[in-house]
Amino acid sequence: METLRQLLVSREISELSRVTHLLDEPEQLAAAVGDILPSAAARAPHAQLGEALAPAVERAVQRSIQKSPRTLTDILYPVFLPAIRKSIGEKIDQTFQSLNETLRHIFTWHGLKWRFESWRTGASFSEVVLKHSLVYRIEHAFLIHRNSGLLIAHVTADNATSEDPQLISSMLSAIQDFVKDSFNEKEQSGLDTIRFGDLRLWSEVGPFATLVSVIRGNPPEGLHEIVRDVLLRIHEESSQALEQFDGDGSQLASVEAQLQTCVELKQEESNEGFPWLVAVVALLLLSLAGGWYFLSWQSAQRWQAYVSRWQAYVSRLEAQPGIIVAEQQARDGQFYIAGLRDPLAADPQSLLSGTEVDPAQVHSQWQFYQSLEPEFVLKRLKASLAPPDSVRLSIDNERIVAEGEAPDTWIDRARAAARQLSAGGPEFDISKVRDVSPEVLEAKRWQAYVSRLEAQPGIIVAQQKIRDGQFYIAGLRDPLADDPQSLLSGTQVDPARVHSQWQFYQSLEPEFVLKRLTASLYPPDTVRLSIVNDRIIAEGEAPDTWIDRARAAARQLSAGGPEFDISKVRDVSPEARAAEHWQYYVSRLEAQPGIVVAQQSARGGHFYISGLRDPLAADPQALLSGTEVDPARVHSQWQFYQSLDPKFVVKRLTASLTPPKSVRLSIIQGRIVVVGEAPAAWINRAQAAAEQLSADGVVLDVSQLRELDLAELNHLREAIQTTDIFFSSGKVVPGPEQTPVLDRLADQIKEFAQSARKSGVTARFMLTGHSDTTGRETANASISAARAETVRALLKKRGVAPELLLVRGAGTFEPAVPENSQAGSSTNRRVSVTVNLD
Amino acid sequence: MLQKKICMLGGFSVGKTSLVRRFVKSIFSETYLTTVGVKIDKKSVALPDKTVDLILWDLAGEDDIGSFRVSHVRGATGLVLVVDGTRAATLTAALTLRERVEAEFGAMPFVLLFNKSDLADRWVIPDREIDELRQRGWQVYLTSALSGEHVDDAFLKLASMVTK
Repeated sequence: METLRQLLVSREISELSRVTHLLDEPEQLAAAVGDILPSAAARAPHAQLGEALAPAVERAVQRSIQKSPRTLTDILYPVFLPAIRKSIGEKIDQTFQSLNETLRHIFTWHGLKWRFESWRTGASFSEVVLKHSLVYRIEHAFLIHRNSGLLIAHVTADNATSEDPQLISSMLSAIQDFVKDSFNEKEQSGLDTIRFGDLRLWSEVGPFATLVSVIRGNPPEGLHEIVRDVLLRIHEESSQALEQFDGDGSQLASVEAQLQTCVELKQEESNEGFPWLVAVVALLLLSLAGGWYFLSWQSAQRWQAYVSRWQAYVSRLEAQPGIIVAEQQARDGQFYIAGLRDPLAADPQSLLSGTEVDPAQVHSQWQFYQSLEPEFVLKRLKASLAPPDSVRLSIDNERIVAEGEAPDTWIDRARAAARQLSAGGPEFDISKVRDVSPEVLEAKRWQAYVSRLEAQPGIIVAQQKIRDGQFYIAGLRDPLADDPQSLLSGTQVDPARVHSQWQFYQSLEPEFVLKRLTASLYPPDTVRLSIVNDRIIAEGEAPDTWIDRARAAARQLSAGGPEFDISKVRDVSPEARAAEHWQYYVSRLEAQPGIVVAQQSARGGHFYISGLRDPLAADPQALLSGTEVDPARVHSQWQFYQSLDPKFVVKRLTASLTPPKSVRLSIIQGRIVVVGEAPAAWINRAQAAAEQLSADGVVLDVSQLRELDLAELNHLREAIQTTDIFFSSGKVVPGPEQTPVLDRLADQIKEFAQSARKSGVTARFMLTGHSDTTGRETANASISAARAETVRALLKKRGVAPELLLVRGAGTFEPAVPENSQAGSSTNRRVSVTVNLD
Repeated sequence: MLQKKICMLGGFSVGKTSLVRRFVKSIFSETYLTTVGVKIDKKSVALPDKTVDLILWDLAGEDDIGSFRVSHVRGATGLVLVVDGTRAATLTAALTLRERVEAEFGAMPFVLLFNKSDLADRWVIPDREIDELRQRGWQVYLTSALSGEHVDDAFLKLASMVTK
């Protein structure tokens, strides 16, 4: 049986055990199910599978988010971002629009009305503003197949027109493509808004169709939502038909109804009709009220102006001295004023002029009174006292002051007036008025005259008095003093009433003594007399005779008189003066460098002088001029000598050595120092001179001399000296082939001369003409000289300074080569150049 | 209302615009071609049983085929290929354009128009070549924008092809 079973079902048994094993081993089972799971899921009924999986998927997602939110965020990011972006964008647009509208209307009449409406309805003000300001109408709605751009449906509002909607819808999608392509925009959303003036095209993009609404006016952003809803509904209802749309719109007839709802959307301007009648009545009432108000306002303004003018007038009156305003008022267009006024004060009525207050409206009541204000008192005093012209009345610190001169009668009256004033009124001060009754005046004048006399030097007033209108005076006077009679003039004292008695006397006052001395001594012009500290001093020069006389006068004066000092007058008898001049001349000579005065004397009106003089020193004879010594009386004997004074040595050296410009000779502390650059030859000469001078004890320092650097020049010199100008036989003018040589030579000579000049030396060029031995010697000599002359002329023509060119003819005596061939003789026919520096 | 999107393709100055100007309804000016790169026109064709509105997308003809915007062809159900019979190169251009469109959107019905048939003296396309194309089963028309020869036939044919 078992064998039979083995035979019959052994294969099944092993298969069964394999399956059992498979089911028991979870790993193997999982592998087996895993193989078939995808295809099993695909074949399962979708609804059931979805339901079965939903809880597990939900949990899995939940778990995944808990574990790592990042993963899911990354997955969903591309989906969410555009949606969020769009939503935020719209919200911002909405906010801005609302803000704009609110701002625009906030201060208008509409604004007030809408504020009221907002208060009444409880809506926010911006909502109300938006509601009223967004006047719009959707004129067209196009439903466009997204893929082909073909028109699915088109609805138009009443009165709205457009071109062929089929073309428009295609063009719109073409433009969508165009924008998308042009700006490389990858997003699925299409062109949102196209705006053209008042017209806007809004497009809402759905999966299969785009809804384009053409809106005229100012739509609220919220309208997007509504349009989008319509599009959504269309998609819901006819999703299949839209997807399969192939240009046949018959399947989608129902869509038009939906679009119609879109087109009906509008917000029209409230047009309730203006309440004209009410407006007219209100306007009328307003203008009446306005007119009345204006008129009353105007008259009030005018009255106000009057009152202010009146006030100005009143304050002007109050400012007037002598006017006291007691009361004033403006009532019913009339002005009333009452008060006191001094008769001397300004007339209130006349003050009205210029104030623009109508005098007819002014009612004044003035009581006269006497003002005690100083200026009024002054006026009254002037009127009652009639002061003479010499008296001036003025107000000083509330006091009335009289100044000047007046007869005593007037002064008495003034004093009486002052007494009367004392009670309550200002003080009247007459203390400064001088009594000028005639007697007093005359006495004063006389006293002035007397004191004038007393001040006069040389006049002594002994006595004076006035009696019965006559003046008496007696005293002493020096004859040299001023005349008392003449002093009367200008004093206003009547000379006829003056009786004088003067005794003459000699005043010992220095000035009178001086006058007398001047008169008696006749001092010469060279003497000046002056008074110093009561002493009389004579200064200047005078001959001895005058000095003697002056001395005698001084002796006479000694008793009681001032001292007469003549010690400062020098004796200037002619001999003394001549001797003085001579001495001056001699000292002048002695001060001269290079002049040694050995002896000098003045004898018998003649002057003798002898000594040594350097030939380079100043001429003693010439020095005589200006000394006032008569040259005819001067006898000089001068021996020439060489002064060793460095100044003279330098002069002599400059003359003998002729130093180049680059060398400077100077005297430093008695030594002669030579500084600079010089040619070697000159330095040698200078050194020789230094040696000679050292014997005489004069130091000539040549150590600072440097040899002139002529290295550069030497090259040029060599070039010049090796240049020869050649001539044809018997010719004194060089052939044309020599022109370049001459040109070059001229340039070199000019350059050398210039460089040498810069170095402070003068270069000279010796042009030596030569001839060959052909012909007579005398002819050759003259030919050679002529050749040198020609070259000189040619060089001069080329701009060489002629004074630098020396010429000589050497004939046949200085041949360049021995003369034994044709070549030799042509070489010897030449002009050679040598350069000399000095 | 039956409408179909048709694209008109062809090289530069082959006469697409002239064809359209005389035989179709147009509301857009030709400047659209240069600005947007496309101009939309409509040709209503009456078939025995119905009327079809062919919405013609006249794509800017350009020598440089590379700059041709294939995206404009999306959703089209037929093509009008236009060739200038006096310039052989325009045939190549038209065929290249068709290849590009087919590669992008799959095969679609088309008619091939050899335009400027009135310029017989400058004609360069050999009849043999045209016959060859016809033998492929292609709808080939020799048209003249000037005389209007065969233009309506071509559109009629295309309309019937796209509504089958």
